[in-house]
Amino acid sequence: MSTKDDEYDYLFKVVLIGDSGVGKSNLLSRFTRNEFNLESKSTIGVEFATRSIQVDGKTIKAQIWDTAGQERYRAITAAYYRGAVGALLVYDIAKHLTYENVERWLRELRDHADQNIVIMLVGNKSDLRHLRAVLTDEAKAFAERNGLSFIETSALDSTNVDLAFQNILTEIYRIVSQKQIRDPPEGDTIRPQNVEQIDVKPTMNTDSVRRQCCQ
Amino acid sequence: MEGDHDKTSFWKKNIKNVPGRPSPKRDPKTNSRSKPQGSTSFQDFQASVSDAWAMDDDEFCSGLKNTKISKKVSESAALNVLNTHRITSETRRSSNENLSDTQIIHDAEVVRISRIPGRPLQLHCSNPPQEEDNELKLERFENLLANSPSLPELCKLSWSGVPVKVRGITWRLLSGYLPINLERRNEVLERKRQDYWILVEKYYYTEHDEVNRDIQHQINIDVPRMNPTIALFQQKTVQIMFERILFIWSIRHPASGYVQGINDLVTPFFVVFLQEFIPDNKPFETYNVDTLDEDQRKIIEADSFWCLSKFLDGIQDNYVFAQIGIQKKVHQLEELINRVDENLHKHLKQHNISYLQFSFRWLNNLLTRELPLRCTIRLWDTYLAENDCFSTFYLYVCAAFLLYWKEDLLREKDFQGLLLLLQNLPTQSWTSSEISLLVAEAYKLKVMFADAPNHLSCHTRNASES
Repeated sequence: MSTKDDEYDYLFKVVLIGDSGVGKSNLLSRFTRNEFNLESKSTIGVEFATRSIQVDGKTIKAQIWDTAGQERYRAITAAYYRGAVGALLVYDIAKHLTYENVERWLRELRDHADQNIVIMLVGNKSDLRHLRAVLTDEAKAFAERNGLSFIETSALDSTNVDLAFQNILTEIYRIVSQKQIRDPPEGDTIRPQNVEQIDVKPTMNTDSVRRQCCQ
Repeated sequence: MEGDHDKTSFWKKNIKNVPGRPSPKRDPKTNSRSKPQGSTSFQDFQASVSDAWAMDDDEFCSGLKNTKISKKVSESAALNVLNTHRITSETRRSSNENLSDTQIIHDAEVVRISRIPGRPLQLHCSNPPQEEDNELKLERFENLLANSPSLPELCKLSWSGVPVKVRGITWRLLSGYLPINLERRNEVLERKRQDYWILVEKYYYTEHDEVNRDIQHQINIDVPRMNPTIALFQQKTVQIMFERILFIWSIRHPASGYVQGINDLVTPFFVVFLQEFIPDNKPFETYNVDTLDEDQRKIIEADSFWCLSKFLDGIQDNYVFAQIGIQKKVHQLEELINRVDENLHKHLKQHNISYLQFSFRWLNNLLTRELPLRCTIRLWDTYLAENDCFSTFYLYVCAAFLLYWKEDLLREKDFQGLLLLLQNLPTQSWTSSEISLLVAEAYKLKVMFADAPNHLSCHTRNASES
C-alpha cells in the first residue's frame, strides 16, 4: 500500500457484493494484502482497500469497497454503488442458496448502480471440490445469459484471485479507453491526476464491449 | 445522574408505559448536580422503589409458562420502545454532572502509539491488572454493594471503571436486571433465569418459520467468526450459547431482528459473567467453559441475555430497517466535529471522506470492533453507568475517539491514507487508561454542549456560544 494516490493513470471504483459468508472480505484481503483468514470477522457496513495493477503500461488503481452481506445493511451499502464502474458479484460454490440469490443482487445493482457497470460473477471457495453445490457450467451459462463475465476463485489457495480483479479492471479499462478515443473529454487531453472517478458510459454501438453482444 | 426527584418518577413512569428499558423523560429544570446522598433522600429512594419489583409488572416475567409471544404484541412492543426512545432522545438532557472534577482531564498528555499498518489484532492472553482494579476502589465498591446501594451512587462510582471482582454484580445492577433491593435479588434472578430457559425451550428448540430460519442462518454464519483470535470463542459450547442468546433476542425484537454486529455486543456481558466463575484470575481468553458446571453455564447465558436485552432497548432504532438511528447519529457526529474541530472536519471533507464511511461501524458496534476486548469491557463500565443517557453518550465517545487521532489524521494527505487509517486505528496496546481518557473527553464534549439542547442542529450555532 505504498502507492500514493497521485501515482496512477486511472482510478476505478469496484464493489464486492454477494451473500453473507461467501468470502468477499477474503477475496479483498487476498488481492490487496495477500492475506487470508479462515474465520474473518463479518463486515459491518463497508470496508475499503486499494491496489494498483498495470494494463498496457498504464497504472490502474482499483479502489475496492467490500460490503456487508446481510439484507439489513442494503440501505447503507447501496449508497456505495454510486460511481462504481465494476462489481464482483460473489457466491459460494459450496452453498447453492448463495448462487440462487445472485438474481437478487443483480436487481440490487440495476436499481442502485450505474447502468453501464461491468459485472463479474465470481464463484468463490473453489478449493471445496468435495462440497461443490453449483456446477461451473451452470454458472457460466447463467453469466452468459445475463451479460456478465465469469470466473471461479479460491481466496484460500489464491486460485484466480488476481486474475479475477485483473480481468474486470482490464475490461473497464478497455471500455474507458475506447470511450476516450471516441469522444475525448472536454479540454485537450485527459489529466488522470485530477480524475477522481471515471464514469463508464459506453454507447450501444461500442463493439469492443464484450458484455453487450449478449444483450 | 439525576436527582432524587427524577429517580422517583423514573420507576413509576416506566412501569406504566415502557415495555423495554426505562427511558425517563427529564425535566430540564429539575436536573441538578446530585447532592450527597443524605439519609432522608436515600430513604425516599428506597421507599419509592420498594414496590417496583414487588408487582408482577415486569415486562418479561408474567405468566411466561403459559403464554406464547404473539408476533403482533411483540411488534407493537418494539414500536413502543422505538417511539419512547425517539421522544426521550429529542428531549435529551445532559445529566452526568456529578462526576468528580478529576475525571475531566484537560489537554491531557497522551502517549501516542506508533501506527501499525493492517487491521488491529486482539491480543491473545493478557489480563494485566487494569487501573480500575485497585484495592481502594474495590473496597469502596464492596462497601457500597454490602447494602442496597442507591443507583446514582453506584453509577457515580462505576463511571470511572469497575474492579473485575465486583463487575458482574455491578453490571447486573446498572443494567436494571438485578433489583437494587437486596432481599428481592435471589428471587428475581431465579425467576429470570428460569424464564430465559423457558424461552429457549419454546422457541429455539422448535420448528422455525422462514423468517426465523433466516435469522438462525445469519447467526450461525456470524458466531463462529466473532473473535477469531481468542480461543474462548472457538469453543463449540460457547458458540451455541451465543447462538441461543442472539436467536431469542431476535425473535423478541422483530422490528430489528438479528443484525450483524449485535453478536459483538453480547461479548462483554458474556466475558464478565464468565469471569465470576473463573478461579484464581486465570485468563478468560483460553478458559475451557466445559470445565464449568452446567448450572454455571446456564447462569452466564441467561444473565448475558437479560443484560443485553436491557442494554439494547435504548438503541433499538440503530438496528431497524434502514438503520435510521445510526444514520441520524452519523449526521450528528459530523455536525459535532464541525463545531468542535473545524480543522479536522475540513481536512476530512477536503479529501472526500464521508463520515458514514468510517463511523458506521463505530456506531453500529459501539466501538467494539475498534478496541481490544479488555478495553471494550472497561468502556462498558461507563456505558452502563450512563444508564439511560447512554444512547446519546456514546455519540460523544465516538467523537472523542475521532479527535484522539487528530494529529495522525492531519498527517494523512489523501483519501486512501485517511480511510485506511480510520478503518484500522492502532489501538492494539490500549489499556483502561486510554479508555478513561476517552470517556473523560467524551464527558467534556457532552458538558460543553449540555446547555444547548439544539447544539446538533445546523440552525442553532449561536445557541451554545451565548
